[in-house]
Amino acid sequence: MERSQDAGCEVAAATGASVFTADEEIGSDLARVDWSATPLGLPEQWPQSLRTAVSILLSSRFSMWMAWGPDLTFFCNAAYRRDTLGAKYPWALGRPAREVWAEIWDDIGPRIDTVMSTGKATWDEGLLLFLERSGYTEESYHTFSYSPLRDDRGAVVGMLCVVSEDTERVIGERRMATLRDLGSDPSVVRTEEEWLAFANQQLNANRRDLPFTLTYLLADDGSARLADSTGLVEGHPAAPVTLPGDASGVWPVTALTHGESVLVPLEDAPFAGLPAGDWPRPPSHALVLPLLQQGGSPYGFLVAGLNRYRALDDGYRGFVELVAGHLAAGIASARSYEAQQRRAEELAELDRAKTTFFSNISHEFRTPLTLIMGPVDELRSRLSGADAHVREELEVVHRNGLRLGKLVNSLLDFSRIEAGRMQARYEPTDLSLVTADLASVFRSAIDKAGLDFRIDHSELPEPVYIDRGMWEKVILNLLSNALKFTFDGSIHVSVRAVDKHAVVTVADTGIGVPAAEMPRLFERFHRIENARSRSNEGSGIGLALVKELVGLHGGTITADSTEGEGTRFTVTLPFGSAHLPPESLAPAENGRGASTADPYLQEALRWLPDEDASDARTAVTAADASGYAASPSVPARILVADDNADMREYLTRLLKGSGYQVRTVDDGLSALRTVRADTPDLVISDVMMPGLDGLGLVAALRTDPQTASVPVLLLSARAGQEASIEGLQAGADDYLVKPFAAAELLARVRANVELARLRSHQARWRKALVDSLQEAFFVCDEEGAVIEINAAFTDILGYTPDGLPYQPVHPWWPDADTDPEAHREVDEAFAQLLNNPKGFYTIPVTHRDGHRLWVTATFNQAQDPDTGRKVTVGTFRDVTAEHYAVQRESAQAALSMRLTQATSSPEALAGSLAVLKELWRAECVLAAVATAGQDIAVTATDAGLRWQDLSPERRERLSAWLDGPLLTPAEDPSGAGITVSHPKGTMVLWIDLGDHRPFTGEDQLLLSLLAGQLAQGLARAHQIDQQRETAIALQRSILGPADLPDGFAVRYEPATPPLEVGGDWYDTVRLPDGRIGIVVGDCVGRGLEAATVMGQLRSACRALLLQDSGPAQTLMALDHFAAGITGAMCTTVFCGVLDPETGNLTYSSAGHPPGILTLPDGTTVLLNDGRSVPLAVRPGRERPESTCTVPARATLLLYTDGLVERRRRPLTAGIDQAGEAVQAGRDVAVDDLATHVMSQLAPSGGFDDDVALLLYRHPAPLEVAFPAESSQLAPVRKALRSWLTQCELPPHTVQNVLVAAGEACANAIEHGHRDAPGDTVRLRAEALVDDLHLTVADTGRWRTPHPGENSHRGRGVALMRALMHQVTITSGTAGTTVDMHTRIA
Amino acid sequence: MTTLLTLTPSRRPDGVTQLTAVGEIDMSNTDALATAIETTDGPLVIDLTEVEYLDSAGLSVLFRHVDRIQLIATPLLAPVLEVSGLADLTTVHGPGGA
Repeated sequence: MERSQDAGCEVAAATGASVFTADEEIGSDLARVDWSATPLGLPEQWPQSLRTAVSILLSSRFSMWMAWGPDLTFFCNAAYRRDTLGAKYPWALGRPAREVWAEIWDDIGPRIDTVMSTGKATWDEGLLLFLERSGYTEESYHTFSYSPLRDDRGAVVGMLCVVSEDTERVIGERRMATLRDLGSDPSVVRTEEEWLAFANQQLNANRRDLPFTLTYLLADDGSARLADSTGLVEGHPAAPVTLPGDASGVWPVTALTHGESVLVPLEDAPFAGLPAGDWPRPPSHALVLPLLQQGGSPYGFLVAGLNRYRALDDGYRGFVELVAGHLAAGIASARSYEAQQRRAEELAELDRAKTTFFSNISHEFRTPLTLIMGPVDELRSRLSGADAHVREELEVVHRNGLRLGKLVNSLLDFSRIEAGRMQARYEPTDLSLVTADLASVFRSAIDKAGLDFRIDHSELPEPVYIDRGMWEKVILNLLSNALKFTFDGSIHVSVRAVDKHAVVTVADTGIGVPAAEMPRLFERFHRIENARSRSNEGSGIGLALVKELVGLHGGTITADSTEGEGTRFTVTLPFGSAHLPPESLAPAENGRGASTADPYLQEALRWLPDEDASDARTAVTAADASGYAASPSVPARILVADDNADMREYLTRLLKGSGYQVRTVDDGLSALRTVRADTPDLVISDVMMPGLDGLGLVAALRTDPQTASVPVLLLSARAGQEASIEGLQAGADDYLVKPFAAAELLARVRANVELARLRSHQARWRKALVDSLQEAFFVCDEEGAVIEINAAFTDILGYTPDGLPYQPVHPWWPDADTDPEAHREVDEAFAQLLNNPKGFYTIPVTHRDGHRLWVTATFNQAQDPDTGRKVTVGTFRDVTAEHYAVQRESAQAALSMRLTQATSSPEALAGSLAVLKELWRAECVLAAVATAGQDIAVTATDAGLRWQDLSPERRERLSAWLDGPLLTPAEDPSGAGITVSHPKGTMVLWIDLGDHRPFTGEDQLLLSLLAGQLAQGLARAHQIDQQRETAIALQRSILGPADLPDGFAVRYEPATPPLEVGGDWYDTVRLPDGRIGIVVGDCVGRGLEAATVMGQLRSACRALLLQDSGPAQTLMALDHFAAGITGAMCTTVFCGVLDPETGNLTYSSAGHPPGILTLPDGTTVLLNDGRSVPLAVRPGRERPESTCTVPARATLLLYTDGLVERRRRPLTAGIDQAGEAVQAGRDVAVDDLATHVMSQLAPSGGFDDDVALLLYRHPAPLEVAFPAESSQLAPVRKALRSWLTQCELPPHTVQNVLVAAGEACANAIEHGHRDAPGDTVRLRAEALVDDLHLTVADTGRWRTPHPGENSHRGRGVALMRALMHQVTITSGTAGTTVDMHTRIA
Repeated sequence: MTTLLTLTPSRRPDGVTQLTAVGEIDMSNTDALATAIETTDGPLVIDLTEVEYLDSAGLSVLFRHVDRIQLIATPLLAPVLEVSGLADLTTVHGPGGA
């Protein structure tokens, strides 16, 4: 390309090729178009506006096409070719747009017509268009704007379309909606039937992607049964109710049974009359997909009729697969739920059986227990030298055997007591001694717990009858209880006698019992929930048993307790045996030790911290690697929470043996902490634990979204249906009652791990679904913290899930300091998000890398199904392109308005710079124009900025840009610039952005669009300037320079732009008889046309007056003349003939506003007579004529309506105002008066309409020029006298003036021209309303008078001064002037 | 051409010489006025009743002879005569008066 870069900075006339250089590829194809065959002609001849538009188009990276000229000839750029045009390229270039887009012309044609006829841009979002660009009719969606393109004269001759294709988005959203709805609320769907009905309802809502669907479920025999359908009427041959299990049916069942999907063409008979869904024509293919079951044969299959207007691409196939996957998952879930239900019922049944078993045959335990305990004791003693591991295991067996025995014994005791079969044997004892012995058994345990232990026993006066075994249980239970609930302080046992009773107290400084619990303290199985204790082990039967046993002894037990201080149990037993059944009395026996104490003690010791616990655990867990069941393929990680160390060890061994990874903790809170830190695959927890129990643990896990999905298996010793249901309701996934078989535990564990994996498959599926959204997805908690996002979110904003949760203020908010406006917008939107149930907003946000984005978000509040808490779920998409398109539209509109309103090029430029400054919030915008042979001229938003004021670097850069390519944005660190052509040369626009903001690709596009528009606008404004100047020059040249008769003043003022010149005129004609014709007229219309009409009428009128026609006659002749001239009709004219001697005026008015006559006394007279209609309205009709006299020193004002007519004001007000203006100018000469009137009446913004004005003050001033000879004095005096008479002055004034003037003239003759007699002397006399003004001027120099000599000359000056009010003599090289005024009384 | 001025000498009934001027007196014809005055001797009455214009040139001629002249003038000339001070130095009679 060649471009002239000479000093003229003239844009080179584009050669054919240079128009297209902005894009090499598209440009070269455009250059190959035979443009001569198009209405646009060869590119060399294209107007600047078209060239500009084409360069903008080609240089843009945004998808655009444009059409220009009568055929709307088609152009497009590379992005449009790529995104939309497809196979139509390059065929489409240079063709009529109607041909290029024939298939959618019905849609877009009317829009283009609107743009072309109104010049207003259109905006369509996501419009559905069926394109034929890929070899088939394709469903596509487009967001686009058509804006007008104007030629060099401003007329709309084409259109530009900026388009972004939304097909992917619209279809993606539609599919996502279906998938979302499918997963919307599965919690209400329980059974398979319910699920299928629900799913089909959702599928039916999307008949665009799924015109019809069939869901078949496979039966065991391989046949298929139609479970549900959408879109099809019942009984259609393509939808048989059952299909055989071979290939003979309509659909290929065999292939599907093997898990393959099949694409079935829908051509043959059974497929006739298939529904079309939302489309004009039915599907041509159906995709048939198996409903896959994990690890099994498919549940069935889905037949999906396909939208024939979309290709079955990966996206479409993926969508249908996701639908099928979701259907399958739903079926799996429903079936799994049904199975769970059944199992829960079975469990309840089992619990009932266990209870019966326990209550009926508990005693059967005693035998095996004995058989266990016996050999174990033996082994313990025999293997005392064996390795630690063996001993440790034996200890476990021993301890738990004791414990079980104790529990069984207690239960049996109860059943005996209840059955009345308790065999007591009461013997007289020293209760004090027996009790102290029993208590001392606990000393070691209590010492180990760091408590103070006191036993006070005083000798009792009498023996007390007790059954030793029972008494042991009483004391040991009480001590065990005290130790369990006492963490510091002391335990105190005392025995003493009170009256006839022995009183035994066991007091502790433990946690105490809440007052509310006191009444139920001794109730059987009653346990105080949530009490802090050393262990949560315990059956709740200890105290109940104590009470029963004490009761059997005829005694009582009471408790008093203060919460937080301690508890005291008081047992009172009567002395003697009178209260006991005699048959149960026995003689005293000595030597029975505390044989039953061991289980209590062993149990208590296990509650206390074990210094070697971790070692022991490690040893145990490493011990057993034998498997109970098949190992899971991937090791699952299991957390065990149990306060019982044995149970922890036992479970660990069991699970490790099955290949699980195990961690253990000993209470609920530790479990919660561990799960939060590192989520396991399964939690096994005991229900009863100190601190946070199992149910509490489950509840806590479920409320935290992070841990809500962790499966929990609860273990409990509490049997029974209600306990089980309570556990499941709390959210546990399974519930296992102790004692349990290892195999059962492992089976449950495996089932739960697998279920969890299925669930996490669901979760993964959900994540995949969310991630596949093209829109960004997010979930906010109640405080607005973002707790979940998807991949599109990361793509759009750059923030990754690693940073979750994102607390408000979110990091993508625009900075409050540098961009407070944007920050405020986001703040408002955020408030909306927190407070409204749903809504949407569009906000600016900042990408992690700092760049600005605009997003439109929609959100809904929802209930988190796991936690029940309110969350907000939202999606948003990147609307940056749309935002900028709208911004472009409005910026172009704003610029267009500035350009249209501007009345001159400088104004257009200044206004445009202001638009640019505001748009980019720039510090300053400047335009530097280089014109050949002149300095560079700067216009800037900073008023008064000059080229010299710029820094040398800036000047250098701008100069460089001036030589650069046109319409190509350039950047530097502090701003951006662009070079455009200017009517007077080349112009650089520079936008000073300060140093804080990047100039993006969007900004560059916008700048080049606006710069192109500005260049066109300036060219247009320049043309208008020139036209206007031409018209005004023409008008003025027609009107003047006037050879005005004396006494007249005239003015012509064009209207304020853009109305500008009109058809007003004035004229004066010297008639042969000395009279003067006066004309003021006003043609309809404006501009050159009106000026032309005016010129003809003016000439005609002048000619008619010269023929000695009277005013009426002249106007009547003009009626006929005007009738023959286009545009002359309705012209208004005031026509008059004035006798300047007498002031006599004959006049006639053709619809013209009345003349105003202002008399010397200030009163005004309107020349209202002689009026008739405007010209050519009634040709041939007689016109009236009237006469009046203009008195001396009166002023006649003739004008056109522009002078007095104002909107919303009566004409008379304007006329009054004009009269006042004339009156106010009584002291000035008539020409100054004209200026005065024009300025007085001009509205603040200038005249709306053009104005012609004519003033005459009677009489006209006298002007006499005569040779400097004394003989001239008499004739001059005569003329002056006559004029003074016309002025109607009093005689003595006349005489004074005559003498004064005479003296001045004599001086001029005598002194001014004594060396050059015959030179001209000038006298001028003008009468103002109250004043008379005389001037005598010569070209000579007065001699300085010598005193004594020529005393009469001095006397002459004295006379002048005496006779006139003011005399000024000005003497200079050019001559001497005498100015004199006198007031007219 | 000089301004029209006729100067007619006569003798008044009281024997005093009288010069009657008709027309206008300006610098173009003051010589004639001067000559006419100088051709007379002794007291002189100059009748300016028919003079429509008198400027400073005429006045200066009259000033030269102020000691022996009396003037007859209409109110039209009064301002000139008074302003110039001539009226203070000589006697100005109204028409038809002494």
